[in-house]
Amino acid sequence: MPNYSNTDVVPLTGADCFLRAIDSEARRSGQAGHLSQLVLRLGPAFDVDRFRRLIEEVSRANPIVRSPIRRQAVVGPPVYRLDRAVPPPGVSINLHSLAAVVAANDSEAPALGAIPDLFCRRLNDRLDATHGRLLCFDLVPRGGVHPGTDLAMTWQHMLFDGSGSELFVEHLAACSSDPSRGRELPINRAAGGKSSSAVAELAATAGERGQMAQAWNTYMHGVAAKRPTSLAGPLRQAQQDLRYDQVRLEGSDAVNAIDRAKKMAGFLTPMLFFLAVSLRAHQAVADLRGRSSTSWIVPLPVDLRPKGGQGEVFRTHVSLLWFQVTTDETRDLAGLIEVLKVQRLSAIRAKLVEAGVAALDFARYAPARLYSHMARRTFGGELGSFFFAYTGEFAPAAESLCGATILDAFHAPSVPASPGSALVFSRRGGGLSAVHVYQRDSVDPADLGVLREQLRRDLGVQ
Amino acid sequence: MVTKEELEERILAIVREDILKVDESFTPQANLIEAGLDSLALTQLMLAIEESTGLWVDESLLTEETVANVITLTALVYAELQQH
Repeated sequence: MPNYSNTDVVPLTGADCFLRAIDSEARRSGQAGHLSQLVLRLGPAFDVDRFRRLIEEVSRANPIVRSPIRRQAVVGPPVYRLDRAVPPPGVSINLHSLAAVVAANDSEAPALGAIPDLFCRRLNDRLDATHGRLLCFDLVPRGGVHPGTDLAMTWQHMLFDGSGSELFVEHLAACSSDPSRGRELPINRAAGGKSSSAVAELAATAGERGQMAQAWNTYMHGVAAKRPTSLAGPLRQAQQDLRYDQVRLEGSDAVNAIDRAKKMAGFLTPMLFFLAVSLRAHQAVADLRGRSSTSWIVPLPVDLRPKGGQGEVFRTHVSLLWFQVTTDETRDLAGLIEVLKVQRLSAIRAKLVEAGVAALDFARYAPARLYSHMARRTFGGELGSFFFAYTGEFAPAAESLCGATILDAFHAPSVPASPGSALVFSRRGGGLSAVHVYQRDSVDPADLGVLREQLRRDLGVQ
Repeated sequence: MVTKEELEERILAIVREDILKVDESFTPQANLIEAGLDSLALTQLMLAIEESTGLWVDESLLTEETVANVITLTALVYAELQQH
C-alpha cells in the first residue's frame, strides 16, 4: 500500500527550481510551458484499455504525478502538495484517430515513418503545475508497412528529468508485464537526494555553500566573457512554436557513430563527441547566414543520480557544466573535442559540479524567474546558444509495454523560443537518434538542410 | 616509492569510500562500470588518485580494459608511476 499520508509534501530540488524559472520564462515570453516529452514507437497489439488501467493504478500509488506545485509560505521553497493531489488518474490519456493526424514530414525515421505532428504541437501547450496537471499521454495508431502505435509522454519539466522519465517508462513496462508488481515508486523527501547530500558533505555551513554558489556565478561570468549567440537570436517576445525532427541512424551507421564517439572523446564520455557534433552543426548554419565570428555557450546536464541501483524517479537531479567555444575552435572536430575535454576536466577539478548544486539549491528560495533573469543578463540576452543532452541507451530494461514491443524511443525536450534550438542524442535497439527541436520561425529549410548534412557528416554516415 | 599492493589498497579505499560509496564486500575484482562508475565518477576517481600519488593519468589511457576493476586500474597507474 502507498505510504503517503494526506499531509505529505515533497520539496522541489534546486534543479527543479531552475526548470521552474525556465517555465516562467516560456510562459512570459512564449505563451507556452517548459515541457518535456519522450516518444515510444510501439509495435502492434498495444492494449489501450490495459494502458489506461495501468496509468490509473500507477497514478493512484504515486500521487506526486498529480500533485500541485506551490509555495507553502511566501519565502519558503515550492513543494509538491501530495495532500492536494487531484483525484486519480489525474493524468490525461488522449487517443487520436489516424485520420486526424498529420505527419511531421521533415523527420528522417525511414523504418517506422514520420512522427505525428501533434506530438510536436503538444510541446507548445501549457500544463498546469499549480493545479496538479503535470503529465499527459497522446496515443496515435500507426498504419503503413509497420503498423503499431506511437506514444508521446509529455510532462512538466520538473516531474522527471531525462533519466527519471526513462525509469518511469521501465516501471510502467515492468508493471504491464507483471500484474503483481507493486505500483508505488520510492521517493526521497529530502530536497535533493544525492545532489544535496554531496553538497552537505563538501560544505556543512550555509556560508560555505554560499561561497560555492558564488564560485559557480563567477564561473558563469567567465564562460560569458565572449557574448554568445543562438539561431533564434537574443530574447524576443514570440509565441513558442516548436517542432522537431528525428534523424535515426540504423545498423552499421549507428555502430560506426557510437564507436567514433568513444574513440574520439573517451569510452565513458561520448557526450563530448555529440556536443562537438552539435556545435559544428549550429556553426554550419551560422556560416550559411554569413556569421563568421560567433561564440557558442552550451550547458551540459550532469546526472547526479546514484548509479547501479534503484534510483529516485521523480523530480530533477542534475547539475550543469557550461562550455564556451569560438567559431575558430569549431573548425576541426578532433580539436574541438579536445577543447571540450579540457573545459570539462577543469570544471570538475574546480568542483563546479558541486558548486552548481549549491547555486541551484539557493535559488529554491528565490523568485521563479531569477535564473532566467540572471542568465539573460549574464549572456547578453541569451539563455545559452542551444540546449544539448546525450542520454545514452534509452530505458534498456523496458522491452514492451501493454502487449506491444518498443521498437524505438527518444527524448524531445522543449526549448524556449529563444535560443530556439536543442539537440538531444540517445540510443535504442541498436540505433542512434539525434532529435532536433527548434522554434519554427527561427530556421528555414536551408538552415535545417545544412544543419542535418553537417550532423550526418560528423557522425560518419556513409 | 609506493608498492603495487599499497597502491591497490589506496585505490580500493578511494573507490569504496569516496566514489562509489560501497562497503567492504566490494572487492578489487568487482567490475567498476557495473558497480556504477560513470563519466563524472571516473574523472573524480582519477583526480583523487592524482591527489594521493601526484600523478595525473592521461585520459586517453582510460579504456574499458584498463578501468575494468581496481586491479587493472592499479596496474595502469603503477606502470605510469614507474615511467615518471
